[in-house]
Amino acid sequence: MTKQLNIMANPLIRDRLVDFLLNEVLHVSDLCDLPEFEDYSTETFDLLLDSVRKLARGPMFETYREMNDAPAHFDGKRVITSERMKDLYPRLVELGMTNATRPKDAGGQQLPCVIMGVCAAYLSAANVSATCFATLSIGAGHLIEAFGSHILRERYMAPIYSGEWTGTMALTEPHAGSSLGDVATKALPTDGEHYLISGSKIFISGGDNSFSENIVHLALARIEGAPAGIRGISLFVVPAKRLEGTDLVDNDVTPTGTFHKMGWRALPSIALTFGEAGDCHGYLVGEPHRGMRYMFQMMNEARIGVGLHAAATALVAYEESLAYAKERPQGRALKGKADGPQVNIIEHADVRRMLLRQKAISESAFALVLICGQYMDLSRYATEAAERERAEKLLELLTPVTKTFAAEQGFESNALAVQVLGGAGYTSEYLPEAWLRDQKLNSIHEGTTGIQSLDLLARKVFGTGGASLVGFAKEIALTIEAGKSAGVEESWLKALETATADVGELSQVLGMRAMADAEAGMRHSHDYLDMFGTLVIGWVWVRLATAASRGIKNGGARADKSFYDGQLRCAQYWFANEMPRVKELARRIEVGDDSYAAMDHDSF
Amino acid sequence: MKILVALKRVADPDNANKVKVSPEKIDTTGLEWKINPFDEYALEAALRLTEDGKKPKKREGEVVVMTLGPKEVETTLRSALATGADRAIRIDCTDDELDGRLVANALKTVIAEEKPDYVIFGKQAVDGDNNGVGQMVAELLDWPMATFAATIQEEDGSLLVSREVDGGMCTLRVKTPAVVTVDLRIVAPESVYSKLTDKAHKYSDGVRFAALPAIMKAKKKPIDVKALADTAGGVTIGSNYANFEAPAARAAGVKVEDVAALVDKLANEAKAI
Ligand SMILES: Cc1cc2nc3c(=O)[nH]c(=O)nc-3n(C[C@H](O)[C@H](O)[C@H](O)COP(=O)(O)OP(=O)(O)OC[C@H]3O[C@@H](n4cnc5c(N)ncnc54)[C@H](O)[C@@H]3O)c2cc1C
Repeated sequence: MTKQLNIMANPLIRDRLVDFLLNEVLHVSDLCDLPEFEDYSTETFDLLLDSVRKLARGPMFETYREMNDAPAHFDGKRVITSERMKDLYPRLVELGMTNATRPKDAGGQQLPCVIMGVCAAYLSAANVSATCFATLSIGAGHLIEAFGSHILRERYMAPIYSGEWTGTMALTEPHAGSSLGDVATKALPTDGEHYLISGSKIFISGGDNSFSENIVHLALARIEGAPAGIRGISLFVVPAKRLEGTDLVDNDVTPTGTFHKMGWRALPSIALTFGEAGDCHGYLVGEPHRGMRYMFQMMNEARIGVGLHAAATALVAYEESLAYAKERPQGRALKGKADGPQVNIIEHADVRRMLLRQKAISESAFALVLICGQYMDLSRYATEAAERERAEKLLELLTPVTKTFAAEQGFESNALAVQVLGGAGYTSEYLPEAWLRDQKLNSIHEGTTGIQSLDLLARKVFGTGGASLVGFAKEIALTIEAGKSAGVEESWLKALETATADVGELSQVLGMRAMADAEAGMRHSHDYLDMFGTLVIGWVWVRLATAASRGIKNGGARADKSFYDGQLRCAQYWFANEMPRVKELARRIEVGDDSYAAMDHDSF
Repeated sequence: MKILVALKRVADPDNANKVKVSPEKIDTTGLEWKINPFDEYALEAALRLTEDGKKPKKREGEVVVMTLGPKEVETTLRSALATGADRAIRIDCTDDELDGRLVANALKTVIAEEKPDYVIFGKQAVDGDNNGVGQMVAELLDWPMATFAATIQEEDGSLLVSREVDGGMCTLRVKTPAVVTVDLRIVAPESVYSKLTDKAHKYSDGVRFAALPAIMKAKKKPIDVKALADTAGGVTIGSNYANFEAPAARAAGVKVEDVAALVDKLANEAKAI
């Protein structure tokens, strides 16, 4: 046993950062001018955040270690989840985590997505598995709300939103993960209102639990005789218990085991069988064969959600490693005396590098998630149609980047948190190793990084004929203008402008190449995503630096200079260390090296 | 049942290092405020006494929160309303116009008007740690009082209040109307039972957090404002603040070699044993 340092309580996410992002960068009070949000004000947001912080820093974080150490498990019949969830789930429900962003007429509370994003970030920084029982539920409810019949909404969506039941996404099958077009679960039409479902699903998160009365699976299945591929897939409500009249009847949905996971241990991901006894009823959501189309419409939200978990997981580990670095004495300053007292490791340049890199990654990832949250709100509720469309297009383009940057660079950031703690970081006496394990999932589920890179390049860039990039370049130009007027460092603005132009040019070359040879055009999709993410984060840092520069100038109550300086240092770091990679990556992609593409299988 | 709860906002103790002190005053600009934790416990106790603990819960009775301070303290009241209080009263004044005796007198006036069954206070505010207002109010009203409550059980026309003492619990029965001040333990899962609450019911540990629907409803709950002059009953501030200074920084500790050295230091240097 190493001796635990008595480090400061982890704030999970710093309130000052949240205040800065919401009020000084995103100006969320403007959202309250929209008719749909007129019930809200900054005061109500603050009250909600206050409750969320208490729940996150109290019961949610206090139970994280215990829930991580004793994973949910399968007893041969059911999956046993932590007893703690019996207390935590109702509390998440109270704070609106299962319905807040949904419209009032659907049983929601019409809370802006950007505020929900902050709430979910605190909660998932505290205990991501516990939080996701709720976020999965709201996602499942949303699908029924958007595409289901009135009856389905009443019977199966309402109890999810009210928190009595939970929901899941049951898409993946052993041979159909990234490629959901290969889903084979069958749906047999009957004379009644239901189909008979049969098949097996794997990795279904929250697929069983010991705290909710019922679980509603939103499952993909193929109606008998449907066309092959994604055009033959339909979406069904498949509850663990079905309603017959007002009775809940067993619906022949059988948990068959849980996966032993490296992280997210309290949220079971399980194998499920539908219709072992031939009595599993499924209720069609929307029209036949449109299941994948419905899923796609929910995809932005789900993927931004993953980015949010990733950002939160990086932020909380950054805070932990920072507090540790301030307290851990080791070694002496380069200029110090060899026999002098030890300094705390935060004095060492290399430790400071690791801390600033984490800060630059995690805070920008969080900012980007919230920017997307605001686009979600505007795409739904902005008064002008043009404004809604603009937000929608930007959201489409930024979604794969937001998910992937937060997950991939977040993983690096979480690894740095472990590294800052040295040997202690490699032990489970400290939490950073647990967060590192949690983080890894985010580049895998909801579309792997590979799939995101295809989505970005093929669908979002080539698929719009480059129009999405032109739209984004306009935003960047506005950001540069604002940066100029706030007195942001010239060279950063110039670098952002140049990088934008480089990405634009390369994309044209690549588009032409892909038309002639799809493989050659797509071969470097990962590099493209990496390059584009670096550019997007440069844009984010200029936005944050602009707000920070204004903050310093305005002085007043918000004038805590060290906070603003922290933001400017991050921007400085990003432009000095990361932005130059845009040009390098663009060159690499343009050259189009075929080492791995042309290599023979046997040569690997 | 009607319960009044007095609340005070205090500078967030977690940010207390930001307090700027000059000999004339404590500069409070830029501080973050929150409800005095013991007052949050008082509110939680009052809410538990006016409900049945069931799901969905039924409430019977009214909880009114009151405070003294400038307009900004309405944020604190709003947060109490969002947590479940029914209405609020603010006595308008600035923070430096007040001392404990004046506060007690102003509250007494409000209590006399409102005629509650019980008044519940936190045992003390964590800023001044004076531990006086609750007791003074009971004295001014000539009501029975039970302080430092760890548990409260409602009976017909009275409360059974227990406090922790060395070696056990000391239990008092106070008849309505009465004043109670509460300690930390009052928010434990089995500390407070109204007549409606099943004795097998266990609350979540700690205070409840404002739920989102309740936050939205709180916007419409009334906050009544009264003037200090109308409630103080002629009492004015009686304390005279001569000087403010920050506490001396804690000196670094020493490491002792062994237990014998520790005992020696405790006996001879600290004279503690
Ligand atoms: C902890 C956990 C929780 C999960 N929760 C759920 C859930 O709640 N509901 C649910 O339905 N699913 C869930 N999943 C499943 C998850 O969505 C899939 O694991 C994921 O989509 C990847 O599919 P796969 O595992 O079959 O991997 P594969 O698709 O086999 O991918 C393997 C590798 O091949 C790459 N690859 C695959 N296809 C392509 C392609 N066309 N081009 C380039 N590269 C490609 C991938 O990027 C990846 O690196 C969960 C998974 C995990 C691990």
